[in-house]
Amino acid sequence: MFWVSAIFGWAVIAYGVRGLLHHHVDTRPSNLAKFFVGGALAHDLLFAPVVLVVGVLLARAAPRPARGWLQAGLLVSGFLVLFSYPLVRDYAKVIHNPSSLPHNYTANLAVTVGVVWGAVIVGALGTAVGRRRSSRRARRGLR
Amino acid sequence: MSARDAIERRVRELTTDPDEPLHQHAYQSPLRDERLAAWLGASLGILFSICFVTGLYSHLHQHPLSWLPVPSRPVGLYRVTQGLHVAAGIASMPILLAKLWVVWPRFVSLPPIKSAAHLVERIGLFPLVAGGIFMVFSGIANIAQWYPWRFGFPAAHYWVAWIVVGGLVAHVGAKWAIARRALARPSRRPPLPAADGVLGAVAEGTHPGLSRRGFLGTVFGAAGVLTLTTVGQTVTPLRRLALLAPRDPAVGPQGRPVNRSAANAGVLQSAPSPDYRLVVDGKVRRRLSFDASQLETMAAHEATLPISCVEGWSYSARWRGVRVRDLLVMAGAAPTATARVHSLEQGSVYSSSFLDHAQAHDRDTLLATHLDGIRLDLDHGFPLRLIGPGRPGVNQTKWVTRLVVE
Repeated sequence: MFWVSAIFGWAVIAYGVRGLLHHHVDTRPSNLAKFFVGGALAHDLLFAPVVLVVGVLLARAAPRPARGWLQAGLLVSGFLVLFSYPLVRDYAKVIHNPSSLPHNYTANLAVTVGVVWGAVIVGALGTAVGRRRSSRRARRGLR
Repeated sequence: MSARDAIERRVRELTTDPDEPLHQHAYQSPLRDERLAAWLGASLGILFSICFVTGLYSHLHQHPLSWLPVPSRPVGLYRVTQGLHVAAGIASMPILLAKLWVVWPRFVSLPPIKSAAHLVERIGLFPLVAGGIFMVFSGIANIAQWYPWRFGFPAAHYWVAWIVVGGLVAHVGAKWAIARRALARPSRRPPLPAADGVLGAVAEGTHPGLSRRGFLGTVFGAAGVLTLTTVGQTVTPLRRLALLAPRDPAVGPQGRPVNRSAANAGVLQSAPSPDYRLVVDGKVRRRLSFDASQLETMAAHEATLPISCVEGWSYSARWRGVRVRDLLVMAGAAPTATARVHSLEQGSVYSSSFLDHAQAHDRDTLLATHLDGIRLDLDHGFPLRLIGPGRPGVNQTKWVTRLVVE
């Protein structure tokens, strides 16, 4: 299984690389290579370590009962910000097409992130109330 | 102690002491676990496969093969496949980043190479990881019309897709047994540290913060939020939720979006000019020529058809125009004729498009003059645009001035 799929997989990779080089007028292999390698390096050496450090700091600073909800809120917000970055920067404005990027994405991102944090607060309160109830029930059980 | 001994001792500490940064125990999160990696990996494999197949389908439309005709019906097929392509691509962003985060300790795990198979597997990760990041980044940037690169997006996105799929095939083969074990029922699963020395060792036990299930729920939740706030650009009932979609199917000239305005295409003078003519020529018995008002009088056929952009937005509308097949008959073209439609727009790869036999003779393939009962706006292709069933938006040529019968 391993060697069969490795040989087949590498054949498909070779087909892709051959296509890239063959259509070099469109694919501009040297420029593409910068983004291909640059993306992986930016993730492995910059993005991932920053997320790790933020995670470590959060684990030390955040109060225990709220930590899970805080992590969830930060993760979802982070994904939303990453996705919206080119929309908020409005790179499409150079095209002068009124129907592309028709919204105020800064405001819409703020609304979306706001709704996410609303859900996080409701969830955290729900957890806290549930925990208090179960500990009260446990105390009653002890009596 | 000699310097060499000191170095050796230090290396041994770095690689075996649980508290040293290179050792697996330094990654304290309980989330870096084989089962999580398998769940995320399987989800990503499914999403990437959807993107690949739907992308290939669009490629076939735009680069037709004579031996493999693409179907024009159902009329919404292209719309559904490309909506799915972009939605799956957007949803894969959080899952890809979460997957890379979960397995990141392996990036620095020691020893770096254990066997020939391990070496092949690790080398194969580069096209998969770098290619996956490239595809998701370039796709998301492209739908936001952000082009920080100099390469042509469609060609680059297409060929790198093959590289990623090749990497995916090799990776699935390498991880099949582990993933099957990790996704098995709990009773059949070995304890985590036994299963995976790198990822499993720190995964057991309770930990404040997100549980494994909570983390997975959060990542899938993020994919869900991204889908919900963008998919309304093609699933029109969800339009009002599409806060982060690059298009709104109800915003644009005549309340409909366009990808290329008349100004962008450089036809602001030529399209509304009184000199405008539609010419039908090529392999015909009679060369035909019509001005804009003649075409408007001839436009008698109506069809409800979608405009579906490869960038993931679409809408369905009522079009009125002249059937292409009626023009072919009027010009005395052969029953086997195909045709090429040319725009007033010059020098773009989308200045013309091809109608194969089925498309050219389809009862709903129109050269349209009206959209939703109103004369076409200049941005929608005034005075005449092509609209046919199941075609990519870029091949619904606007500002049509010539129909060449082949």
